[in-house]
Amino acid sequence: MTEATAHEGQIEAASNGGLVRVLGSIATIAGNTVREAIRSRVLYLFLVFAVIMIGAGVLVSTLSYVDRPRILQDVGFAAVRLFGVAIAIFVGIGLVHKEVERRTIYTILSKPISRSVFLLGKYFGLVATVWLITFVMALAFVAVSRAAGAPVTLVHYAAFGLSAMELGLVTAIAIFFSTFTSPMFASLFSVGIYLAGHLSRDLRDLGAASESETFKIFGAWAHRLLPDLEGFNLTTHAVYGIPVTFPDVAYPVLYAMGYSAIILIAAMLTFEKRDFR
Amino acid sequence: MSELSQEVVRVEDIVKDFRPGLGLKKKRVLHGISFSVRRGEIFGFVGPNGAGKTTTLKILMGLIFATSGKASILGHDIGESSFRRHIGYLPEGPYFYDYLTGREFLRFYAKLCGVPRAQIAERVTNLLEAVGLAHAGDERLRNYSKGMLQRIGIGQALVHDPQVLFLDEPMSGLDPIGRKEIRDLIWQFRDRGKTIFMTTHILSDVEMLCDSVAIIVKGKIQYQGAPKDFLKNERHSAEIVFAGLEKSIQAQIAERFQASVRDSDEHSQFGVAEDQVDDVLRALLEKGAQVVSVTPRRATLEMIFLNAVQEGGR
Ligand SMILES: Nc1ncnc2c1ncn2[C@@H]1O[C@H](COP(=O)(O)OP(=O)(O)O)[C@@H](O)[C@H]1O
Ligand SMILES: [Mg+2]
Repeated sequence: MTEATAHEGQIEAASNGGLVRVLGSIATIAGNTVREAIRSRVLYLFLVFAVIMIGAGVLVSTLSYVDRPRILQDVGFAAVRLFGVAIAIFVGIGLVHKEVERRTIYTILSKPISRSVFLLGKYFGLVATVWLITFVMALAFVAVSRAAGAPVTLVHYAAFGLSAMELGLVTAIAIFFSTFTSPMFASLFSVGIYLAGHLSRDLRDLGAASESETFKIFGAWAHRLLPDLEGFNLTTHAVYGIPVTFPDVAYPVLYAMGYSAIILIAAMLTFEKRDFR
Repeated sequence: MSELSQEVVRVEDIVKDFRPGLGLKKKRVLHGISFSVRRGEIFGFVGPNGAGKTTTLKILMGLIFATSGKASILGHDIGESSFRRHIGYLPEGPYFYDYLTGREFLRFYAKLCGVPRAQIAERVTNLLEAVGLAHAGDERLRNYSKGMLQRIGIGQALVHDPQVLFLDEPMSGLDPIGRKEIRDLIWQFRDRGKTIFMTTHILSDVEMLCDSVAIIVKGKIQYQGAPKDFLKNERHSAEIVFAGLEKSIQAQIAERFQASVRDSDEHSQFGVAEDQVDDVLRALLEKGAQVVSVTPRRATLEMIFLNAVQEGGR
C-alpha cells in the first residue's frame, strides 16, 4: 500500500457517511458565517437603528390622540421588516462577495468541499443570522408594546414568523444574484425584486381589471414568477386584530420553502460554473 | 512504483482565454502549456509578473476553468474532487478571516477537512507549533504581521496532512527572516516525502529551494528541467582582457574565434566560449599582446531568465 492510499483509508474512516459529511461541512461554514456576521460592526449598526426606530414609535404615537398602540406597532413592524430586509440583502451580499474578494473561498474550495456545499453553508449561516436579529428586534417590539400598554397577541408572533420566512426567501434571492454579479448590481436587483414582490398581487389585480389582453397575461405571469411577498404580511392583521386562519400561515411557509429551494438550486448551478478571478 | 504514479501533477496543452468584459475581445493568457511535477520534489513554477503562474494554479485548484487542455493531480482529472483531500493550497496574497484567532482559523479548516472532532484540538496545537505560531494562537488574525499570515496560511494548507502542497508566491512581501522561516517550512515538508509546487518570480528562492523548475513567460513554457541542467545547457564563456595589439590583428583573431569585442581606452576585451580560452590566449600571446586577466563568466539563472523573457517577447 502506498502512503497515499493508507492516508486515504485513514481519512475515509474518519469521515464515514457522505451525507453526514456534507451536512457537517454545511454546518461548519454556516457556523463560521454567523460568527463573521456577529463580529462585524454593520450588523450592530443596523440593529441599533432598528431598536431606536421601534422605540421611536412611542414618540410618534404621542403625536396622535387616537389609536396610539396601533401607530406604535405599525412603526415597530415597519422597523423590523425594513431592517430585516436591509440585513438580509446588504449583509448577505457583502459576506458572499468578501469571500471571493479576500480569496478565502480559494482555500475552502481547494479542500474536498464542493461549491454548492459552500453556498448552502453561506445561505444557512446568513438565514440564522437574520433570524437571530429578527428575534432580537421582536423582543424589543414586545418590550416597547408592553411598556406602552399595546396588546401583543398570537397573531403578532405569527407575523414575526412569516417575516422571518420572507427574509429567508429574500436572502436566497440576494445570494442568487451575488453568484454572478457585482455587489452593487446584486443589491439593486435584490431590492428591485423585493419591491416588485410586494407589488406582485397588485400587478395581477390590475391586469385582471384591465381591458387589454396583453396586460391581463402580463399581470398573471408577473404574479406567478415574482415572489408573492404580500402573502407574508400579517402586520395589519396583528395591529387591527383581524383573525388569522391556519392556511394564512401554513401556505406562505410552504411557499417560502419551495421558492427558496428553486432559487438556491439556480444559485448553485451558476456558482458551479463561474470562474473565480 | 510505476512511472505514472511518480507524476504528481501533469498539465497537458492547457489554454486559457479571459474575457475582460462583455463584448470585449478575449485575451489568451495561457497558450497551450504542458509540464509535469514528480513526487517528492520542490517544483518551482517561475516567471515574471503577469506570465500566467497564478492562472495556471487556479486552474489546477478548480477555481477557474481551462478553455482547453487537460490536467491531472495524483492521477485524477482536476474535474474530480476526491483527490482534494490530498492537496493543500496557499493562494497568492490571501487575506484570511481576520475576525478569527489563529486557533479558531485552523479549527475551522480542520473541521471542514473532516478531522475527527476528538483530534482537532491536538492537531491545531501541533500545527501552530509547526508553523512557529504557538505563541500567537489566541490572537486575532487582524493583528498578525504579513509573515505570520503567510505562516498561518501554510498551516491551513497542512491541516489535513496533504501529499502535495501548492504555494502561490509564498515569499512575496516578506522580510529576509520571514523568507527564511518559509524556506525552512518548505524543506521540512519535503523531508517528510511530500511534494511542493510553488510559484515565484524571485530567482534566489529558485536557486536555493527548487529541485526542478518550469519557466513560463507570457503564457508559454520556455524551459522545464533541473535548475542545474538549465545552467549547464547554457554555453559558458570567459572574458579575456588584454592590451598592446593592433586593431587589424585584433579583428582577425576575433573573427577566427567568433569572439565578442569591447574596447576601452587602455584595454581590449574578448568574450569567448569557455572551451576556446586556451586557443585564443595562444593566438593573442603569439602576436605579442599583454594579457591582463581571464575571468570565467558563468551564466546565472538571472541571465537565462532574462534571455527567456526576451525570447518569449519575440
Ligand atoms: N480575471 C482576469 N481577467 C483578465 N485578465 C486576467 C485576469 N487574471 C489575470 N489576467 C491576466 O492574465 C495574465 C496572467 O496573470 P497571472 O496568472 O496572475 O500572472 P502571474 O501569476 O504569473 O503574475 C496577466 O496578463 C493578467 O493581466
Ligand atoms: Mg501570480
